[in-house]
Amino acid sequence: MKKNTFYLIFGCIALALLFLFWYSVELHTPLLIEIAFILGIVLVYLAKRSVTDSIEDERDVKITEQATIRTMQIFWVVFCAFSIGAVMEIFRVPTFPRQPMGTRPPDILGPRMIGYIQLGLLCLMVFLYVGFRIYYAKKYGEFETDEE
Amino acid sequence: MHDLTQEQLAQAIGVNRQTILAIEKEKYIPSLDLAFKISRYFGVNIEEVFVFDQKTPTIRDT
Repeated sequence: MKKNTFYLIFGCIALALLFLFWYSVELHTPLLIEIAFILGIVLVYLAKRSVTDSIEDERDVKITEQATIRTMQIFWVVFCAFSIGAVMEIFRVPTFPRQPMGTRPPDILGPRMIGYIQLGLLCLMVFLYVGFRIYYAKKYGEFETDEE
Repeated sequence: MHDLTQEQLAQAIGVNRQTILAIEKEKYIPSLDLAFKISRYFGVNIEEVFVFDQKTPTIRDT
C-alpha cells in the first residue's frame, strides 16, 4: 500500500468514527463508539503495517521513542495529580464518609465534569506528543535540506 | 569520491535518505549496526568512515 493511500484510509476511519460518535450520542449507547474506537485503532495499525513505500528506520524509532517518553513523563504526573484530586472530591475528603444528601454542600466537580476534564487532558496529551515529535524530529535532522 | 547519491546509499542500507543527511550534518549519531552497514557498503573499516569524538562521533567525507 502507498503512503498516501494510508493517509486516505486514516482520514476515512476518522470520519467514520466522528459519524459513529454522533450516532452513538443519538442512540444513547456509549458502547457503540467505544467498540468502534478500538476497532478503528486496530484498522489504522493494520493499514500502517501494510505501507510499503515508507521505511521506518532507527532514527524514526528514536524520534518516536523520545517523544513518547517525554509526553508520558509530563502526562502521567498531570493526569495522576488531577485524578487524585478528583477521587478526593468524589469521596469528599476530609468529611469522609459521605454525608447523606441534603446535609452536604454541593459538589465542586461532579463525576461528569471529572470525565470531561480527563478527556480534555487526553486531548492535550496528543498535542503534547505532536509538539515533542516536531521538536525531536528537528533535533535529529528531519527538516534538514541538502543536495549531494 | 564514490559518485553516489544519498538516496542510493539509503536504499542500499535500508534507511531513509533523511537519515543519511542527518548523519552527514551530525544531527544524528548512527547505531553501531548502521555504522557498520555504511562502512561495509564502502568496503572500508568503520574508523575510516566515522571518527569517534568524545562529544559526538562525526562522519568523514567518503
